[in-house]
This record gives sequence, structure tokens and C-alpha cells, in this order.
Amino acid sequence: MPRRDPAPGRFAYEGLDRVIHERARLSLLTSLAAHPKGLAFGDLKRLCRLTDGNLSRHLRILEESGLVEITKRFRDHRPQTTCRLTAAGRRRFLDYLSVLETVVADAAATARADAAPRRGLVKGFAPA
Amino acid sequence: MLKDLDQALAEISAIRSQIARSVVFRGYGPATVATTGLLAVVAAAVQAALLRDPTGNLPGYLALWAGAAVLSAGLVGVEMVTRARRAHSGLAQEMLATAVEQFVPAAAAGGLLTLVLLAFAPEATWMLPGLWQVIFSLGVFASCRFLPPPIFWVGAWYLTAGLGSLALARGTGALSPAAMGVGFGVGQLLTAAILYLHREEGGGDA
Repeated sequence: MPRRDPAPGRFAYEGLDRVIHERARLSLLTSLAAHPKGLAFGDLKRLCRLTDGNLSRHLRILEESGLVEITKRFRDHRPQTTCRLTAAGRRRFLDYLSVLETVVADAAATARADAAPRRGLVKGFAPA
Repeated sequence: MLKDLDQALAEISAIRSQIARSVVFRGYGPATVATTGLLAVVAAAVQAALLRDPTGNLPGYLALWAGAAVLSAGLVGVEMVTRARRAHSGLAQEMLATAVEQFVPAAAAGGLLTLVLLAFAPEATWMLPGLWQVIFSLGVFASCRFLPPPIFWVGAWYLTAGLGSLALARGTGALSPAAMGVGFGVGQLLTAAILYLHREEGGGDA
């Protein structure tokens, strides 16, 4: 039976947001998504294993894209920077996760299909 | 490679579940919850009118309140699915699973406790209204983190009403309509009021 070609654009994965699809930023958003009240700069640095400079750079990109909001205030006479995911950021991150899930599920389906004939071959050699 | 991909899928699912736990659940609608409170009051009125001696007609008493509970659960359940899909589009499945996970153990414990008392300790069935409310309070406390914070007081109400019922309603007043009507009527209406007042909180976040 001939295999049907998938619909055009089936594997385009256009929802893979370029801003989010970067290891450090993905890691930052995942940390922030699990902390709705936000995280201090120092905590984010530790959780994502980033340097001060790298963290600032990625946070600025996320802030400019409206994914993250950054507040600076004084706590015990010391400045504290807190980062929080915005409502739009949470939505975009969830959309991104859905697309990422499709990508991985597609790859898993292909890997399973490739593995199946090989398993059959091995089974064929097995004693009855 | 397949193992790595399955692991990646499991990790994505874990991230979603983690996010779901940090978002206020908006699947419970104030109007429907208020309806279940009114249903409790109506059931109490039906009991007062038609079941003068609930201790002597325990199957009738249980049928009335089990019917009210099933109808309420059905109403809340159907609305919960539709509201969650609308309010938490990307997270609806995880949020619904968490809501069920938090409340179903208490509901199941209440049902099983009823069966066990009926089968092995029928002399203790006078405790059922109080026990149901105490168990319901545990379900509410379990769901607290997932709902607007004042819902804690609903749990406290059910616990107080349940313990009060156990302490005060013995003998002829054991299965009085007020034990259930007041407990669940006030509790559900209080829940509806809190949900209504906090309806915009955490809005549009998922």
C-alpha cells in the first residue's frame, strides 16, 4: 500500500519561537514558569548556571520581547532584582512547549517505525 | 535514541505539570457552585417534608443525599471541563488532572466510608453527616493551593460544621435536615462568593 505524503507544512514547526528556542533562555523561562511570584537575579543565576553578564543579556532579550518583567527594589537596604514571567510570556511558553512536544513526538514515531522492521528481522531468526 | 525521545517527552510533560501546579484553577464556576449549595438546601427541604424519620428510613435518606451529591458532582464536572478548556487552553489537561487528583480521594473516601458503616457498623450511621463534612473539608484543604487563597476558610467551615454535627447531633437530631442543608448550603454558597470575588485573578495566564 503506498504511503500517503504528509500535508504541506506538516513539519514546518513554525511555532518554535526563536526567542525562546535558545538553551539559556529556555532554561530561564522554565525556571520562571514554575515560580509564579518570580525569582531573584541570584536565584536564576544559580538555577540556570549562567554568569552575571550572560543572565543580564538573556533577560534583556526576554524583557524586550514582553516575555519577562523585571522589577528592581530595595530589600534590607540592598538592591534586589526580581524577574517574573508575564501572562503573555506564560502563554507563549506553553505554545512553544506544544510545538516542541510535536517535534519530539514526530521524531519518536519515526524512530519507532525505523526500529520495527529491525525487530521483525531479529524475531525471524528466533527459534519457533 | 527512542529512549532519549521518550525521556524528552516525559520532561516536557513534567514542565507542564509544574506550571499547572502554580496557576490558579478557574474551572470551578461561581454560578454552578452556588447551584450546588441551593441543591443542598432543596434536598434538606425535601428531607424535612418527606422523610420525617430518616433513622428509620436510612436507604431513603442515603438515596436523597447521594442523589444530590451525584447531581452536584455532575454539574461541577461538566462545567469544570468546559471552563478549564476555555481558560487554560494550553494547560487544560494538566489542570483538570490536578483538580481531580486533589479532590477525588476525599470524595472516594466519603463514599467508601458510607458503605463500610452501612455494612459493618449500622449503629454508627448517625455520624455520616458530620463525617461527610469533615472529609469534604480535607478535599477543600487539598485543593486550596490551586484556588484563590480565601478558599481555606471554606475548608475551615466544613471542618467546623462537621465536627459540630458530630458533637451536637446525636439521638433524634442525628440525621436532621439542618445537619446537611446548613453545612453544604452555606459551604457551597461561601465557595461561590469567593470564586466570584476572585474571578479575575490570575486571568489569561495559561
